[in-house]
Amino acid sequence: MPKLIIDDIEVEVPAGTSVLEAARSVGITIPHFCYHPALAIAAACRLCAVKMLDGPVKGIQMSCALPAQDGMVVSTTDPDALKMRKLVIEWLMINHPHDCPVCDEGGECLLQDFTIAGGHGIRRYQGKKRTHVNQYLGEGIYHEMNRCIQCYRCVRFYQEYAGGTDFGVTGCAGRVYFGRFDDGPLESPFSGNLVDICPTGVFTDKTGRFRARYWDYQYAPSICPHCSAGCNLSPQAYHREVIKIVARRNDEVNGWFICDRARFDKSDLNDPLRPRQALVDGSPVEWEAALNALATRLREFVQSHGADSLALVGSTRLSLEAGILLAELAARYKGVRLCYFIDPAEAQLSLSKVEWVPAGMAASQAELREADFIAILPCDLMEESPMIALAIRQAFVKGAKVYLVAPHLTALNLERLPFQVQVVPELADVPLGEAKRGIVVAGAGFADLKGLEAVPTGVKFVLLQPGPNSFGAALLAREYRAVPLREAIASGKVKGILALETDLPEELRQGLTFFAAADWRNNGAAEPASVFLPTSAWAETGGTWINYEGRAQRYRQAYKTGLPLRGLPARYYGSQEAEPPAHPPRVHRAVAPGGDTRSAWMLVAELIFKLTGEPAAEPYAGKWAPLKHIDPEGPGMRLPAELLAG
Amino acid sequence: MSLLSDIQAILTGLAITFSHIFRKPVTVSYPEEKRPMPERFRGSIVLTRDPDGEERCVACYLCSGACPVDCISMAAAETPNGRRYAAWFRINFARCILCGLCAEACPTLAIQMSSEMFPCKRDVMNMLYEKEDLLIDGTGKDPNYNFYRHAGIGVVTPRGANPDEHPPVDVRTILP
Repeated sequence: MPKLIIDDIEVEVPAGTSVLEAARSVGITIPHFCYHPALAIAAACRLCAVKMLDGPVKGIQMSCALPAQDGMVVSTTDPDALKMRKLVIEWLMINHPHDCPVCDEGGECLLQDFTIAGGHGIRRYQGKKRTHVNQYLGEGIYHEMNRCIQCYRCVRFYQEYAGGTDFGVTGCAGRVYFGRFDDGPLESPFSGNLVDICPTGVFTDKTGRFRARYWDYQYAPSICPHCSAGCNLSPQAYHREVIKIVARRNDEVNGWFICDRARFDKSDLNDPLRPRQALVDGSPVEWEAALNALATRLREFVQSHGADSLALVGSTRLSLEAGILLAELAARYKGVRLCYFIDPAEAQLSLSKVEWVPAGMAASQAELREADFIAILPCDLMEESPMIALAIRQAFVKGAKVYLVAPHLTALNLERLPFQVQVVPELADVPLGEAKRGIVVAGAGFADLKGLEAVPTGVKFVLLQPGPNSFGAALLAREYRAVPLREAIASGKVKGILALETDLPEELRQGLTFFAAADWRNNGAAEPASVFLPTSAWAETGGTWINYEGRAQRYRQAYKTGLPLRGLPARYYGSQEAEPPAHPPRVHRAVAPGGDTRSAWMLVAELIFKLTGEPAAEPYAGKWAPLKHIDPEGPGMRLPAELLAG
Repeated sequence: MSLLSDIQAILTGLAITFSHIFRKPVTVSYPEEKRPMPERFRGSIVLTRDPDGEERCVACYLCSGACPVDCISMAAAETPNGRRYAAWFRINFARCILCGLCAEACPTLAIQMSSEMFPCKRDVMNMLYEKEDLLIDGTGKDPNYNFYRHAGIGVVTPRGANPDEHPPVDVRTILP
């Protein structure tokens, strides 16, 4: 444990820590461009210069590439170091274009920040700037090479961290170029991280190009809804529209990065056809009136048909809070069918995965990155959960042996995996007994849990689930004795369904006398429903999801629901003209157009109050009480053993 | 003799008063009648055009970020040739305090304070000025500046064709 002194502060850090990280641990930020904690050291930008006053090395040194050693005395504010950093910034800016106002990075640009912090303001160099031709890099990323400061972060991420092969660096000296050999979409499903990782505006998000500025964004810590990995991200909204989604650091889960699906797929949230209007028998009404109608009709239905012909249906994308409250609503009606899954097989599989893995034996993505033996059971990881593949690549780069169990190789796309695998026909052929930190990875479709019994003890598991909250739904289904919807319908008694944020297959709606739905997704439930209530999407409300390893993670509301200001229909302009003007309406409103929605949990709570006259109970009480305080910006919370055990 | 000097003092004062009564008034009946303002007067806000007649505003949001009363709002958009412009641009003059921070923040010299006084309106909605109301046909106080000729990302000129730029690098060559 080397001890050193940085700016008169004594610091003790683990061996191998760089001086830059040591300084950061006591709150001193040394300016840097090329250094990134997740990437290899390049020492390319020369900005992190500090002066070593005493110790094994002396003089100006690059703090990112210098391991902390005993007896070092470091000054980050020495005039020599300050002058060096100022000059470095000045020559990095020699070729940088004068285009901050039309650059999407402006406002969140490291180069901007450190140029201003370093004091460089007036251009002294009278020569000409070098320029480059941009490349087309697909629909996700916009390339503007003139802005490049040659920090090599992009190529270190793309090739070393993500294992991509179609992007690299060419040229020499002042003509270094970062791009592809030819124009074309980037092949890696992690290419979107170039946007986050570039310290300036060479790679910007094309899906949010020229839309907003960092200081105007409404954003909050959130969780990815696309798979069960539970990667942390932050949706950034402006004028009620999600413009960008960026990765959020969580060292236990996704580290610094997210996959391209998480980053670029905002279609559900920004869908212009999203249902935003409460409907009763197909005609638009106020939210409150629709809720009253729902309560009345529910009561009448239960009176005439009996509680056991009603099914309350949740889903694997419903927040845990709403799921708990739905169970509370079900408890008010004896015999009502409570469902969190549609398919019995899926329900059974999700629960058996929850129960099969003993507490502490589910591996997080962080553990996956540190594993030494990994066996992947047949699944298309790059399709199902690319971040798991990225985590496996980190282990692979550190020397882990990766096996792919594949009886029939033809069905698998090996070329897309960012690591090399040894293909074996059966799990028994993987020498897991030699593993110190062995992990078995299985996709959501993997059902043969019996086959895993031969796995030696000490080996951990990554058993993926189909939805972002399948784990939570399975826990709820076990706790409240829920039945899968198909099973309930097969009994022949179910005549009415209240579907809460559930994608119901059409055939399940046949032959019902009562169907009500509440959703934010455009999934066709609004038209057939006799009462429809729009809810707020995940980015527009708070909630909790439990990922495949049993880690409960809380997400917060990023922005208020409503129709995006861009493309607002003409009827909100208060004029009769068909073509609305380019500017927003000149009409005062208390609620944004299409903003009359509630969170799913709030809907259930209000429904309980309407039906029983008593307010709904606190969802995080009793057994769920440990989940009450989860820090949305923290690592999340692995479920305690008593919650897992049931 | 203090009485005489008192009378003299009163009469002197009255003489000054009467001379002012018959003088031409300094006030004008604003707003019907307007006084020409100095060229550098910081009055009502306008959006100017560059010397080529195109809109100068690139909707960079710096003015709305700088505005202490949050009276500027806009949405940026892109033309097919990559030019960034304001799809709509709105100033709420009911809120504006004419502090000039927006004009100071503007990197393209688009938003400027004209020498016009801002007129008062009876209906507050009439003080909401849209882009069409703000955009003028001239270059305003700086007749020569065209941001895109200095930006170096090639919108009005081909890439690498601005006077302070080398032509684009050929990355395939190995010659120095």
